[in-house]
Amino acid sequence: MEELPYRTILCDVLVVGAGGAGCRAAIEATKYNLDVIMLSKELLGKAHTAMAEGGYNVSLGNVDPDDNPETHFKDTIVGGNYLNDQALAEILVRDASERVFDLEEMGAVFDRTPEGKIAQRPFGKQSWRRTAYASDRTGSEIMVTLVEAVRKSAVRVYDEIFATKLLLHDGRIAGVTAIDLKYGDYMIFRAKAVVMATGGAGRVYTVTSNAQLDVGDGYAMAYEAGCDLIDMEMVQFHPTGMVKPESARGRLVTEAVRGEGGILLNSEGERFMHRYYPGVMELAGRDQVARSIMTEVREGRGSPDGGVYLSISHLPRSIIEFRLESMIEQFEDAGVDIRDEPMQVSPTCHHFMGGIKIDEEAGTNIPGLFAAGECTGGVHGGNRLGGNALADTQVFGALSGESAAKFAKEHEMTGLPKEKAMKEFLKLEAMLKREKGISPADARKELTDLMWTKVQIFRKEEEMAFAVKELRRIENEVVPKIKVDVAEKRFNPGWHQAIEFGHMVTTARMVAEAALIRKGSRGAHYRVDADPEDDGYYNIVVRKGANGDMELTKQELIITKITPP
Amino acid sequence: MAETIKTSVQRYNPDNDDAPYLQDFEVEYEVGMTVLDALLYVQDKFDSSLAFRWECRGGQCGSCAVKVNGTARIACRTKVDPEESLVLEPLDKMPIIKDLVVDMAQTEYRIRRIRPYVARDKKPERPEIIHAEEIEKVREIRKCIECAACLSNCPIVHETWEYPGPMIIRQIARLELDPRDVEDRVGMAIDESVYSCTTCKMCTDICPKKIDVPALAVELLRAKAVEAGYPLAEGQQGFIDQINATGRAVPEKDAPLLKALETEEFTVENSRGRVGFFTGCLIDYRMQNTGKALIEVLNRNGVDVIVPKEQWCCASPAFRTGDLHTAHAAVERVTEIFENAMDKHGFDTVVVACAGCGKTLREDHRPVITEKRGEPPKFKVHDLAEYMLDVIGKENLVLPKGEIKLKITYHEPCHLGRGQGVVDQPVELLKMIPGVEYIEDPYRNRCCGAGGGVRAGKRELSQKIATTKREYIEATGASMITTECPFCTIQISDILEGSEIETRYIPDLLAESYRKGDK
Repeated sequence: MEELPYRTILCDVLVVGAGGAGCRAAIEATKYNLDVIMLSKELLGKAHTAMAEGGYNVSLGNVDPDDNPETHFKDTIVGGNYLNDQALAEILVRDASERVFDLEEMGAVFDRTPEGKIAQRPFGKQSWRRTAYASDRTGSEIMVTLVEAVRKSAVRVYDEIFATKLLLHDGRIAGVTAIDLKYGDYMIFRAKAVVMATGGAGRVYTVTSNAQLDVGDGYAMAYEAGCDLIDMEMVQFHPTGMVKPESARGRLVTEAVRGEGGILLNSEGERFMHRYYPGVMELAGRDQVARSIMTEVREGRGSPDGGVYLSISHLPRSIIEFRLESMIEQFEDAGVDIRDEPMQVSPTCHHFMGGIKIDEEAGTNIPGLFAAGECTGGVHGGNRLGGNALADTQVFGALSGESAAKFAKEHEMTGLPKEKAMKEFLKLEAMLKREKGISPADARKELTDLMWTKVQIFRKEEEMAFAVKELRRIENEVVPKIKVDVAEKRFNPGWHQAIEFGHMVTTARMVAEAALIRKGSRGAHYRVDADPEDDGYYNIVVRKGANGDMELTKQELIITKITPP
Repeated sequence: MAETIKTSVQRYNPDNDDAPYLQDFEVEYEVGMTVLDALLYVQDKFDSSLAFRWECRGGQCGSCAVKVNGTARIACRTKVDPEESLVLEPLDKMPIIKDLVVDMAQTEYRIRRIRPYVARDKKPERPEIIHAEEIEKVREIRKCIECAACLSNCPIVHETWEYPGPMIIRQIARLELDPRDVEDRVGMAIDESVYSCTTCKMCTDICPKKIDVPALAVELLRAKAVEAGYPLAEGQQGFIDQINATGRAVPEKDAPLLKALETEEFTVENSRGRVGFFTGCLIDYRMQNTGKALIEVLNRNGVDVIVPKEQWCCASPAFRTGDLHTAHAAVERVTEIFENAMDKHGFDTVVVACAGCGKTLREDHRPVITEKRGEPPKFKVHDLAEYMLDVIGKENLVLPKGEIKLKITYHEPCHLGRGQGVVDQPVELLKMIPGVEYIEDPYRNRCCGAGGGVRAGKRELSQKIATTKREYIEATGASMITTECPFCTIQISDILEGSEIETRYIPDLLAESYRKGDK
């Protein structure tokens, strides 16, 4: 086999991803006297977590004293349409409070109650005011805090490193292959244990609130390595994304706007939520609000730009300025003063509920491989509650770091699967050398438009079947022909996009294939042609079969406390 | 055909190219387009290997800072102006990796040097009780997204990494304000050259979160340092002692303007307005002719000028260096003097011709008085150029007729442009003078290095900044540089000593043209 030059770097625990979950995992793992490396695809601190706005769910009861983890659990399961892995949801609600105190200990500055405790605001589908926050820049506050903590720790941060493939040796995790985005070098990171914290994949849809890096690297890498993935069909469309200008389309408009009292209006000035969910109105589940908005638009009661109106102008200006400062700034850029005028909003692809299947130690089905945060599935079931994702990053970030550290303590380094690594490098090299082929920009557009039009909020058998067929074709015919314009390795976004494209297609296929076999409506998966016989109380697990085909199996729900109705 | 914008992007791959070069692209303009959109357009349509960083496209992550037409800003929140072509370059100070991507390693080292986290001496209780008031000030300066644009624009960082730059000095202040942090951040700030900042406000101006670093971090840390007993530099303390003793920041030399003037009232027939003239220390003690020129220019435009005989320093040097005791005493005195003069002479507007005084009266005095008595000083404050164009109005101005045939450029004082929002008016005045060929300096708003107590306290650094400024000025090819601040005038004429370029104060030049026109 042809050889390409590469560098190999050793560590005890390798964390892939440097957002909320990755940083938290790395910080935890260093507590075990281990050498920890955290790979960041972006510069430290620029991960998507920084874009989370509204808050962190934790049943502290600081505002509503009757709140407790039990209620948080119940809200999470009901909100998740009973599809959650209840064992994981129990961990979420159990540890959320200690992890928020960890953040404070590290230096986080959350907004306060008059007694000096962490303030909490109402969020959708929650029984109490539970969402801790720092204005509407809670994710940024958490990210900044974690960066401060990482800078205090002995974690070795390798920034702008793009992990492309998980390496296994004798069935155990051995490390990852990667490229150095800055200089283009091939690298192997070998570790005794690996934590995947690679975030989501909103970017497989045309309209998304997600950062550019959220292309599903982790889902695809885990799939290729043989991990089980769960609930991949469950994609959350956040009901309120920006509509215009075009370049801001899909940008998140935090649920905190509705939490603080914002109301949704159609073009006739009607507060339409009373026709859909009169009990909870704007604070219905995200899937429910998104569908209500789209129904208004489809039935001709939308705004001229294809959204509806979200108004907060009836609130005192001081409240808006203190609690929704980013929203003021964000809409100012679009020429709208939200203190006086309504915002135009429509749904945007926001979060993947599904992902790598983990156990109660955050372990995957591959020994030594752990996972945390949005790249995992099971915690949120069929619909994630606003505010549960930030809690997820901290709870499972810390847990995965601890588990990986313990595993690393108990195991020696594996051997080096050098051939597999070299095969990966040759594949990446071929994209650069290919003389004829398809540009990543064109390929990406075809893919994201396909997903946005065919595997979206309202799903239909023919459309999904078409998408699946197309995705298989893209996988077989387009992915192998991806070609980079300029054959340079040094910081070449064209090359990065070409590599990412393969990950996007694999991820999109898992979503579409799983969606196609779920015949009924459940959670975020809403079918206009739902089979009434299919109550949907099961999970779909995706894995790569022995023959290389995608295998999908239905599994029984994991229930510890609450049985579906 | 759709409108297109000429977009020149700096390209450089050190593996292949000798040096950076600009490459031009035609970008289709769309309403609301940002610089990031333009870059993505180029990447998608022309060259996918064009290297730049971005992630969130919403001003939350701070990845995409680049130099846009000479000034560093985050690309995703900078609108493209359809009337103007775009030049996009990588941030200054940081080595280039490729195209617009720079190496942030140095910055990261520089951040780590300040132990940038809450240091504690004991584990906190859970829950930890922290009251909203305790963190109110932290909250504001905590919004930083570390885009590093301010580091690229900072005139001090441009000369030396001894000073950590706005982004990092802000983090020291954030930790000083955090009740949980136990480190001596004030001592650290001294060690980190907090007295190097000229308070030019370039950082605030381009900050995507509009963090007022000079006020909320630099001056705050300096005030805490003074409170903790750290001595000011000799030159700085000299100013302060002088203010406390005489009400003037500098010692008397020639006959002061206020003593030389025979009257307080300079009135005209059928006046269109009446203003009080706040001379400031330098016009009174060093630039008496400029003071007379200002009175003349206003009189010629039909405005009565009242010059109260008793005046007091605005205490800018004290505000800038952290001696709040001196500063607040001066605020009360100045307010009293001018409020009394208002009543006595019947005016409601005070005109200044010193950028530093104007900024201090507006930004620093008002909050102090408001906090003390619930309402700000009763008089309005205007810079001379601003008063002439915005209050008198261009159409009502008496045009100067004497020809001054010169190539003239303009230095925008930091505390006039960014300090008071007076940007175009002084240039408008210059352009009214017959014969003047105005030459725009793309770096006209860069600091001259005099402010913030730096000229007084750190002469060597101040000279370095001024030398860079001299390069910008010389590049214009102008034979005269004009400005609207005595402190800048002194600094710039010092640094231009031995060159052919003359330094003038705008009121002087205007008065000269009026007088020539009389003949």
